[in-house]
Amino acid sequence: MMLDIKNLHVHYGGIHALKGVDIQVEEGKIITIIGSNGAGKSTLLNALSGVIKCSEGTIEFLGQPLPRKPNRIVSAGISQVPEGRLIFVNLSVEENLRMGAFLRNDKAAIEEDFAKVYEIFPRLLERKDQIAGTLSGGEQQMLAMGRGLMSDPRLILLDEPSLGLAPMLVNTIFDVILDFKALGKTILLVEQNAYKALSIADYAYVLEQGKIVMEGDAPMVAKNPDIQQAYLGKRRT
Amino acid sequence: MEKFIQFLINGIAIGSIYALMTVGYSLVYSIMNFSNFAHGGVIMLGSYFGFFAITILKAPFWLAALIAMTGTTLLAVVIERLAYDPLRRRQAPSLYYIISAMGISIFLENIVLATLGADFRNYPPLFQTSGFYIGGISIGKLDVLILVVGTISLFGLMWLIEKTKIGLAIRATSFNLRAANLMGVNTEFVIFVVFGLGGLLAGLAGVMYGLRYTVWPQMGLITNKAFVAAVFGGLGSLPGAIVGAISLGIIEAMATGYISSNLRDLIAFVLLVTILVVRPSGIMGKATEDKA
Ligand SMILES: Nc1ncnc2c1ncn2[C@@H]1O[C@H](COP(=O)(O)OP(=O)(O)OP(=O)(O)O)[C@@H](O)[C@H]1O
Ligand SMILES: [Mg+2]
Repeated sequence: MMLDIKNLHVHYGGIHALKGVDIQVEEGKIITIIGSNGAGKSTLLNALSGVIKCSEGTIEFLGQPLPRKPNRIVSAGISQVPEGRLIFVNLSVEENLRMGAFLRNDKAAIEEDFAKVYEIFPRLLERKDQIAGTLSGGEQQMLAMGRGLMSDPRLILLDEPSLGLAPMLVNTIFDVILDFKALGKTILLVEQNAYKALSIADYAYVLEQGKIVMEGDAPMVAKNPDIQQAYLGKRRT
Repeated sequence: MEKFIQFLINGIAIGSIYALMTVGYSLVYSIMNFSNFAHGGVIMLGSYFGFFAITILKAPFWLAALIAMTGTTLLAVVIERLAYDPLRRRQAPSLYYIISAMGISIFLENIVLATLGADFRNYPPLFQTSGFYIGGISIGKLDVLILVVGTISLFGLMWLIEKTKIGLAIRATSFNLRAANLMGVNTEFVIFVVFGLGGLLAGLAGVMYGLRYTVWPQMGLITNKAFVAAVFGGLGSLPGAIVGAISLGIIEAMATGYISSNLRDLIAFVLLVTILVVRPSGIMGKATEDKA
């Protein structure tokens, strides 16, 4: 297993946000976690990135205990494309991408990754000198995803990449996720758009109120009547 | 005209001391979004460190400055660890930081009052007597020293911020701490460095201020001027802080020279209020809602 999470608990003061979560991520796969607002999806990704502390549980990455500090975690090969994008609005597109490669010193390989990102997102190449804050919402999401690639991660955590985007763009973003997979990246995708997420994922977990309530191969989960009713907007017949 | 030029040079000299005080304050603000009122206490202690280095150890200027800067750097970093780090761990709102900062400032002031008394102390005259005369303008040696040392330090700082990796980390953290963290920037270390840099320059400012004026326990109050300068330039913007501080120095020198030294501070604070009304983000500031 590339990533092995066992019995993970997170508290925010008195709020018990994750209540013993077990998740496994296999290398080269797209794993999705679906769940409604407040289920604890972002909490899980932030715990993996080390920006919030876990109160209990273990996380192993590539057979080693996951480092604690966010910078060590990025070096170990995990990057996060956060909810709300969090791009650097007063830096240019190119500078934002460069920030993604902050911990790297391999100049030649960084340039190759720039080329890869611009190939996936030609729109970013056209706008490489533009100040990121002036990009449209969709372009900002592309920038955030491109930046997430620039640390040359083995595992990419995506937090609701389709949030607030028009349907056309949502399709583009999901195609990009498949491009990432084709590059050999492993993907942990958190989504509320369960329909799209399940259509590209290999394996799925359903998170409700801090607990995994169901897991299985993505097509199986998509066929489950409870899931169809709760997340796919279908009525039980 | 000669008078004007002389006031201008005085103003730039004192303005560069304000700039050294202001940048530390502004750097901390840009990353942590609160006004570090403890900075005044650090400058004050720096001034005392320099004073005792010169009077007791008979140190020359450069050694006194070095001793003071070492002391204030350590002090600033220790304050961050003891007073602010615990708040950050609890994600406390910025009001808590301000209260903590004020507490530290009062604590430092009273420690000095209790141990050294309330006297004003004058540095031995290392520089002021002789000056340069160019045309009809006389420039004190001390002002020249302040200008040179101030300019070198400020350019050094700008270089560090604009051209180095740690500088990039500082800028990224000031734009968005959480995002910087996710990019692998060690934001804990950035905060440590920022307090250290602020302390370093505070020590230098303290010694030069003491040399030019005097040292006393409440001298931390002059950081109000650093605050004015930072707001004037735009809180959180480093070039803004420097421009603001030097402008303030010039305005003060002009007010002293042409009007009255009694009105100097009044003019400075009227300026602050006016700027806040006319242009709340300052001349080069980043727009934020909460200017605590
Ligand atoms: N910093 C915080 N302090 C206190 N409670 C928090 C904090 N962040 C999240 N929570 C709480 O933890 C729970 C899980 O939040 P989380 O953001 O992980 O949900 P989510 O599944 O990502 O939701 P969404 O789909 O709306 O993004 C929620 O009840 C939320 O209110
Ligand atoms: Mg979320």
